[in-house]
Amino acid sequence: MKNPKVIYSLVKYIVGAASVILILFVLDTYLSGFWHLLFLLFGINIILAISLNITNAWIGFFSIGHGGIMLAAAYVTAFLTLPPSFKNGIINLHLPSFILNTQFPFLPALLIGALFGTIIGVILVLPALRLRSFYFVTGTLGFNIIMMTIAENIPKITNGPMGLRQFPDYTNIWWVWGVAILLIYLGLKLKKSYIGRAFIVIGKDPDLAAHMGINLLKYKTYAFALSSFFTSIGGILWVHLILNLFPKAFGLGFVFNVVAMIVIGGMGSISGAVMGAAIITCFTEVLAPVEEGFSVLGLSFPPFLGLTTVLLGIFLIVILITRPQGIMGEKEIKLDFLKRFLKERIKLGRTG
Amino acid sequence: MNYLLQQIINALGYGGVIALLAAGYTMTFGIINLVNFAYGEVFMLGAFAAYFCINIWNLPFWLVFLIGIAASIVVGFVIERTTFKPVRGADMVTLFITGLGASIVVRNLAVMIFDDRLKSFSLPDFLKGLHSLGDILLFNKTIAIVLVTLVIGLVLIYLVKKTKIGIAMRSISYNAQMSKCLGMNSEKVIIITFIISSSLAGIAAYLQGILFGSIQASMGFTAVVYAFIASVMGGVGNIVGAMVMGYFLAIGGNLFIAFLPPDLVGLKSLFVWGVFFLILIFRPSGLFRANIK
Repeated sequence: MKNPKVIYSLVKYIVGAASVILILFVLDTYLSGFWHLLFLLFGINIILAISLNITNAWIGFFSIGHGGIMLAAAYVTAFLTLPPSFKNGIINLHLPSFILNTQFPFLPALLIGALFGTIIGVILVLPALRLRSFYFVTGTLGFNIIMMTIAENIPKITNGPMGLRQFPDYTNIWWVWGVAILLIYLGLKLKKSYIGRAFIVIGKDPDLAAHMGINLLKYKTYAFALSSFFTSIGGILWVHLILNLFPKAFGLGFVFNVVAMIVIGGMGSISGAVMGAAIITCFTEVLAPVEEGFSVLGLSFPPFLGLTTVLLGIFLIVILITRPQGIMGEKEIKLDFLKRFLKERIKLGRTG
Repeated sequence: MNYLLQQIINALGYGGVIALLAAGYTMTFGIINLVNFAYGEVFMLGAFAAYFCINIWNLPFWLVFLIGIAASIVVGFVIERTTFKPVRGADMVTLFITGLGASIVVRNLAVMIFDDRLKSFSLPDFLKGLHSLGDILLFNKTIAIVLVTLVIGLVLIYLVKKTKIGIAMRSISYNAQMSKCLGMNSEKVIIITFIISSSLAGIAAYLQGILFGSIQASMGFTAVVYAFIASVMGGVGNIVGAMVMGYFLAIGGNLFIAFLPPDLVGLKSLFVWGVFFLILIFRPSGLFRANIK
């Protein structure tokens, strides 16, 4: 503990963690209703955007099949967290009795679901070995549709298109933002570590990466496993916020929103993903009342279902035409100026 | 055996629709490497134009047919000018997302305006009725669709092989840079390709309407997925390959669900994607030779 650098970094972490906990505590106490929901959705979107960023931007395999991963993970978790009364109430649900009659706490259910999602996600590495560019994109689209079709057509396990309801209300600010902040931190650290740089090199030039001695299969598997683990957690948290689950929940529209986040924010940038999540969350939630019809100054407007998707698509196309690299490009927002400022303060204090 | 034959004949109508779409799709795919998911929306809006002509103005069928094609051409042209022209030359994934975005925008607009219920689409009188050959039923509309598909296929082959514009299209698809160096107006050729492929979508839209008797605002997505897979399987840019594979997908899909237990009929889309994965893993260049031939 004599080394000032250790003390400096220790203080930094403690202050950072304490301020984050304090901010979350304050927000948890004072936010309610619409703003609470908005804040939770924002956190979930950050989780989804950063985890999609790992495969789509860093490693260069543009996936729109993460909906299938979320679907698998969400169903597995649903079997564990749904109350036994609901599971036994559905007649055509044929599950083993130990699943029907137990209800897990959230953490083990979340971990089991995410682990299952990871296993499903690693399957996506198989097409990634052979397919390139848009063939891979279409392959993942097919993966998404296949998962959806299977979930719809095995009503003995998933209750078919009717879906599952009566989820316990587990999602709160602590879960969502705990995972989101962990993921932001992990992402920023990863970007500077060997593994993260290996991911980025594979995305830029796979042949060069292979020549430099990077094991392509190994790092592709790592990237897909990491991405699908956190995507699964995001999907599970979303389900326990919306409180119902049906096979079309994570369709192309849902994934398209997440893709829009990382394209608008900047492919390959963590801060860009956070910004994109903020923009898209505000966009969709603010326009949601417009979609359901409203009246201004005596004029009543009919509901415009799908309006947010239309505007979002137009916004995305405009971004792709005018600024294809997104808001941030591959850069990050640096906090260096803050560090320099603090250091100068400390120096001044020591000398003066 | 009769059951099998009947299933194949039932699929011929839809096979014709998919074959036309795949032929149109593969042309833009081959010439500017564009994975055009908005093509399904061109198809869908053509069908809606035809629907309004029938149900509001009661026009004769040939005029409906022509207006459907004209509407498809206009929609295809507008989408090309507003979204694909500005991003031309970008990498393929950007093109893909742009196409997907355009498709989602147009589809959601259509669902918003026309709603997503099935709209009935009436059949012209001379196509009603059916023949029976022993146990096998053969609808007049199926015969008409197959004939139309064959004629259009022959016209397309003539167009691509013999005419000047066809030769220009082939040369751009082989080597775009070189064709430009030799003084070809590639922009003009691309526009003409878009017009041809959009008009094919218009024809397919009318055929889809008379085949199923109904249209829907969200029908473009399934159709474009079939067309995409058929064009990849047939070799990118190969019109004959795409049309053959369109028929193959429709017939195969029908046979696939014909032998499944009735409660698993919803798994039909597994067949298409299964075939897609198999082809991409074992023969990524398609079953036929690539490039417009």
